[in-house]
Amino acid sequence: MKILVKMIGPFIYDAGFNEKDFEFSNPLSVEELLSELHLKQGRPKIIVRNGHGIGLKDQIADGDRIVIAPIYSGG
Amino acid sequence: MTGWTGNILRINLSSRSYKKETYDEAFAQKWVGGRGFSMKILWDELKPGTDPLGPDNKLIVSLGPIAGVPAPNTGKTVVAARSPLTGGYADGNLGSHVTSQLRKAGYDIVIFEGIFDKPGYVYIEDDKVTFFSAQEVWGKGTYATLDWLYAKYGRGAGILTIGQGGENKALFSVVRSLEGRAGGRPGIGAVMGSKLLKAIVVKGTKEIPMANPDEYKKLGATDLKKVGALDKESGWSKQGTDGILAWCNEVAALPVRNMRETHHKNAWMLDGERVDAARVATYGCPNCTMRCGITVLDKEGHESELDYENIGMLGSNLDIWDLAQVASLNYLCDEYGLDTISSGSVLGFYADAIDRGAIKGDFRWGDAERAKELMRLISHRDGEIGNLLADGTRKMAQQIGQNSGRYAMHVKGLEISAYNCKYIPGMALAFGVAPIGGHHKESWVISFELKQTSRDSYGREKAQKVIDLQRIRGGLFEFIVSCRFPWVELGWPLENYAIYFNKATGLNWALDDFWKVADRIYALMNGFWLREYPNWDRSMHYPPMCWFDPSNADKEGPIAGKILELAKYEKLLDEYHDIRGYDNRGIPTKRTFQALGLSEEMKQLEKYAALK
Repeated sequence: MKILVKMIGPFIYDAGFNEKDFEFSNPLSVEELLSELHLKQGRPKIIVRNGHGIGLKDQIADGDRIVIAPIYSGG
Repeated sequence: MTGWTGNILRINLSSRSYKKETYDEAFAQKWVGGRGFSMKILWDELKPGTDPLGPDNKLIVSLGPIAGVPAPNTGKTVVAARSPLTGGYADGNLGSHVTSQLRKAGYDIVIFEGIFDKPGYVYIEDDKVTFFSAQEVWGKGTYATLDWLYAKYGRGAGILTIGQGGENKALFSVVRSLEGRAGGRPGIGAVMGSKLLKAIVVKGTKEIPMANPDEYKKLGATDLKKVGALDKESGWSKQGTDGILAWCNEVAALPVRNMRETHHKNAWMLDGERVDAARVATYGCPNCTMRCGITVLDKEGHESELDYENIGMLGSNLDIWDLAQVASLNYLCDEYGLDTISSGSVLGFYADAIDRGAIKGDFRWGDAERAKELMRLISHRDGEIGNLLADGTRKMAQQIGQNSGRYAMHVKGLEISAYNCKYIPGMALAFGVAPIGGHHKESWVISFELKQTSRDSYGREKAQKVIDLQRIRGGLFEFIVSCRFPWVELGWPLENYAIYFNKATGLNWALDDFWKVADRIYALMNGFWLREYPNWDRSMHYPPMCWFDPSNADKEGPIAGKILELAKYEKLLDEYHDIRGYDNRGIPTKRTFQALGLSEEMKQLEKYAALK
């Protein structure tokens, strides 16, 4: 399964990349993906797939574009 | 009464006279400060129909009980008047040394009345007010004017000024301060200009009255450090507000080409990483430890202080993807004293109208050099085009006709900030019901819509969230007068602001007490609209109609084929009115006015329009 992960704002520096392709042999959830990425624990996040919010338990599908951002509040 | 100075300075520019007045504790507790003070004074003192650009309009500078005293982030000043752009109540807040200097001079409020007979500026030093000529800088931009005044009064003086935009009464001109600070989007700069008032300078030497000064100062200093540490830990200041640009692009909320589109392949060229990489300096407001003013060099080599709204509206919204050129347009806005959001919207609307054949002209998407020239024409009201654009999108659409009002991106006459809501119902509502027009500062709910609810829902919880945030953003932070960023961006607890307030005033308020003040102010702001426009109807709470037009839906990307639905929006608006206790026009009911302690104002309003 191939997916693209895009980091936003401070997460770019945590993860060490802006956007990157990942390949996984087994299906995984958003929560499992996050644990692979070694982001700082505890910082609130908003995860978006193809422009729509998704939860930690949601399964990721082949070809997904997953965007991980801090909780923005509109300045 | 402690915490408040209890003093108003009333300055008449026509007679070059001034007097000190007082206000009592009941007034202070009912309206608290900033937006609350301004709203109540303009309600009481302006006759309905007052020409916003005539001598009878009043310019208010107002502060709150924690303004100017070290604590996170209390260096803000509110400027207010009846808006020449919208016709309603208008205000803005900006970081300035005016905040602490005016409080040290012994005032929380300054009311400017009348009009100078020739361009001048006012110097307030404690109890003394002096009137000076500004002929030397009339016609000059804000940077030259600030330098001229710094040379006379020092960089620590509180200074508010206008550029050529305000002088020439461009309707979206702002008040400027410090390196790149600006406020008063709905034309407060034009109100200043109409009074031939080039600048306000303030210096004070007194102690700011506080119930527990030692405790407060200790707590404030500690909390400023904590906020600074939080910011460092979170990495927020690395990209500042522009961190959101890449996210808006991903979630299809970016303004692109007059908000025709919601995302663009070139968005990375303007994102937070690019801005941080181009950074040459960082500026902030007084009493701030999370400085957001990321400064880059523009195409001509000027320092230009950027934030997301500037970049979104002067960049992607105009199809301009060269950061240095965006910085140039931003610099010109600051220099001329024009609002960046409205400028980007006006130029975008002009390019769109030309592109659609509604008007003839030579401005095309992506033409940064022509955009710079148009900025000059707007700020000087030079010629037919300068005058057309200087009146803002609503009046432009009326002039252009051809059904162009459908894609004029404003609410109540104020241009919408840099969030494209063609498929974000709650945020569209937040813009629609914003009481000064299309401004994000009142309420911002996009993250809530994507994370806590479904993006395509129109449920009552979205109306409730808009109200919850209005009470905080458009309420609390606007009347205690403090920057919302520590709370918004770092999660600094709201309860801390109640602590600061209580330590300053000696009162014992809980957050619920603040929400009631917020609701009171919002009710009177809506009452002000009705008093000015007795035929007001609920369409004033609609976002632009193109957000409901299926032919305007994105053709590709995350929200391809999606658009807001008017019938569902109407229902969401009903929910908002119901929770607020407003009638179906969006006006508070009699019961609501009474419950908020506004019986007297309600009776006054009934002379002009029927209430339900």
